[in-house]
Amino acid sequence: MDKEIKRIITVLTAICILFVSLMAYLTYFQIFKAESVKMNSYNKRLWINEEKILRGSIIDRNGKILAYSEKVDDTYKRFYNYGNLYSHIIGYSYREYGKAGLELEYNNTLLNISESTALNELKNIVLPNTEGNTLKLTIDHHLQEYSRNLLKGHKGSIVAMNPTTGEIYAMVSLPDFNPTNLKEDWKNIVEDENSPLLNRATSGLYTPGSTFKVLTAIAAIEKKDLDREYECTGSANIDGYILKDYDGKPHGKLNLEEALVKSCNTYFGEKGVIIGKDALGEVAERFLVNKKIDFDLPVSKSSFPYKDNLGETDIAAASIGQGKLLMTPLNMALIASGIANKGDIVKPILVKEVISPEGKVLRNNQPQLLTKAVDIFTANEVKNMMVESVKRGTSRNASIKNVRVAGKTGTAENPSGKSHAWFIGFAPAEEPKIALAVVLEEEGSTGGKAAAPIARNIIIEALNTIK
Amino acid sequence: MFNKMVSYKYPRNLLMLFELLALFLLFIYSKDNLNKFTFIYGIGLILIVYVSNFLLLRISTGDTYIFLIVTMLISIGLIMIYRIDPLLGIKQILWIGMGIFIFFLTYLVFKNIKGWEEWTYFYGIGSIILFIITLLFGSRIRGAINWISIGGLSIQPSEIIKLLTIFLIASYYTRYEHFKKQKYGSYYLIATTYLFILFLFLQRDLGTVLILYTLFIALQFIYEENRRLILYNLLFSIVSGFLGYLLFPHVRIRFETWLNPWKYIDNKGYQITQSLFAIAEGGFFGTGLGLGHPDFIPEVHTDFIFSAICEEMGIFTGMGIIMLFLILVYRGFKIGINQKIKFYRIVAIGISILFGIQSFIIFGGVLKMIPLTGITIPFVSYGGSSMLSSFIALGILQVASEELDFEEAKDG
Repeated sequence: MDKEIKRIITVLTAICILFVSLMAYLTYFQIFKAESVKMNSYNKRLWINEEKILRGSIIDRNGKILAYSEKVDDTYKRFYNYGNLYSHIIGYSYREYGKAGLELEYNNTLLNISESTALNELKNIVLPNTEGNTLKLTIDHHLQEYSRNLLKGHKGSIVAMNPTTGEIYAMVSLPDFNPTNLKEDWKNIVEDENSPLLNRATSGLYTPGSTFKVLTAIAAIEKKDLDREYECTGSANIDGYILKDYDGKPHGKLNLEEALVKSCNTYFGEKGVIIGKDALGEVAERFLVNKKIDFDLPVSKSSFPYKDNLGETDIAAASIGQGKLLMTPLNMALIASGIANKGDIVKPILVKEVISPEGKVLRNNQPQLLTKAVDIFTANEVKNMMVESVKRGTSRNASIKNVRVAGKTGTAENPSGKSHAWFIGFAPAEEPKIALAVVLEEEGSTGGKAAAPIARNIIIEALNTIK
Repeated sequence: MFNKMVSYKYPRNLLMLFELLALFLLFIYSKDNLNKFTFIYGIGLILIVYVSNFLLLRISTGDTYIFLIVTMLISIGLIMIYRIDPLLGIKQILWIGMGIFIFFLTYLVFKNIKGWEEWTYFYGIGSIILFIITLLFGSRIRGAINWISIGGLSIQPSEIIKLLTIFLIASYYTRYEHFKKQKYGSYYLIATTYLFILFLFLQRDLGTVLILYTLFIALQFIYEENRRLILYNLLFSIVSGFLGYLLFPHVRIRFETWLNPWKYIDNKGYQITQSLFAIAEGGFFGTGLGLGHPDFIPEVHTDFIFSAICEEMGIFTGMGIIMLFLILVYRGFKIGINQKIKFYRIVAIGISILFGIQSFIIFGGVLKMIPLTGITIPFVSYGGSSMLSSFIALGILQVASEELDFEEAKDG
């Protein structure tokens, strides 16, 4: 082949490489970049529907209007009736700041945009829709307001739900923000180091403290050959680390029930080491730790890295809810629900119904079993221990006259130096109607003193008002 | 005969099927302002394309696929332009008709007239005159002075200059021996090319600078005997690119908006980000014709037609277009390699490089793979000058694909 032709082929090859790289880049862009590019709020395609369609309302379980849109000077304006109260549930929808919460997750439903298929688009050209769907939530407005008032002045979160249907009655996260004044407050909100935009109920990751002992207790029950008796001296030496009880007081002779009632650290620490990290981790995973929880809002994964190389000290710490454990309040509420609901965890739901502009119910979210976390006998055994804890143990402050409450407190040490105060529980124990998790972030007080009374009030209010 | 007409074995039938389907979709989409003229124009176009493909088979003994590929590209482009703006679509049909006519005219002229390689000075001086006219009478459109208006008709002289440059380089290297004998003869071409590039810089027509430079360096790589000159040119291009960045703010803007257009989304990064939104929105299969919003992109019918196609027909169609260009370039090179007459060989390769590099620059630009420079996609974008000059180039390529019976040039 002569030199000229060789060189011509070299140039051709170079051009071919350019073209192939174009195609490779196009594919790369479409697979890895397109999603995030599309969601940029400067993409007018996201808003073109907004200008033509009346965004649907959001109402609570009793039909109270929480958010609605109205035409003001030729454009649709969004109104949030209760300001801060629903900042994390409903979220917001602004051109400038994008969308969050249900406004984001249910955007297409609220605008009545069906999946973009050619047929749907054609239908849209012929019969354009002008009004979006209404979302009916599972939230009880009264309980939501009541719960937020109880939490006021603290940081933290409350999740209250129906353990048999998965309906969330109240979900509070503080500090919060007012979606109505977003324009004026945006800068402060973003710069606030307490991160008011964070929905602590679903995305806050907290050390669970002694509330986690409920799961350790389940692991203990499942280990049939475990010696449940123990002599507590107030402290225990685990692999060179001295594990102490609260105030270092010895509890004396204990069985599993007494240990949970008195929330004995040394008992659970020592037994946890015997149970082993794998059995403990496996129980935790059945209760959705390390698992993605399917919910109407994005949920962070709770984590227990038990597959890591954990020493005995780490296992003992995890057994009492310290160490490398991190849990979301929603996950803790689901643990309480699972025990309340005979060991079955029901999928949590926030949106009960989707209602068309004509008033037709388009979708009705029925209870859906998420996982069978534990068998009914084990669930009942732990339930009884939790009832005893409220009756005469660390959870006494949650007890209610004439109602059997099951609960467990937690006081979680954390890097801030001020402990989180926890309470998880449900009532009435024989036929649970409400399950809840309360966490007071960096409260510096115990779960029994700070969180249990709040939980008690919510339970009373819920049992009295929710039908 | 009839069997032949409906058989799928003939690509022109497939092409017609594609056009009919697209036309049908367009009519559904624009049912509100449907009129019989669009219908007549549409059918007219299909006929022109079909007949000219058929005709070419009769009169040309060369490669008939390049014209077929081009008619496919034209069809896709026209459908998109019509969907964006029916009025422009109708104008484009007229340009296409004229373009196909020019194609055949060019074919006949080049087939029957010899001695094109002798006119080296004419090509050089002609280009320089065109440059001067553009600078004197040109109007600035989108930052670049590259349009002149004659009696209400805007034309883009740089489209002609691109072809003249190919002819200039081809005739220079065909008569290489002749020029080498002269003092400084081997620097004539380089000097002229840099003069062209200087003119283009003054016009701020960065896209054409890039095209001419690539064309020049690629052809020099193939034909220049003094290999060091190529190296010097490459070095010089790097230096001048760097200087351009420092000296000209409009070059800097191109770079900044390429590196991070999101930062300037309100102003100078607006176009490119709108283009990315469109491509992202389209996905692999597109939103469907008439169902996207390509109208959000400024200049969508010329520079950004590719983004519009990706949005509504999906990146699979986008890749299809890229591959059509790849085949076109490949066949153009093949034509060049098989051509025995040196002048036509160089012209064929030059034209193929032109098609290839021009489409690559604008595809890469709207994808944000390389900095954006506003140029048109040959045969796909809206525009008369671009359409006509591309068809002239194609006509010449068609001639070059045949075995030419006139005498081989002396130095060949």
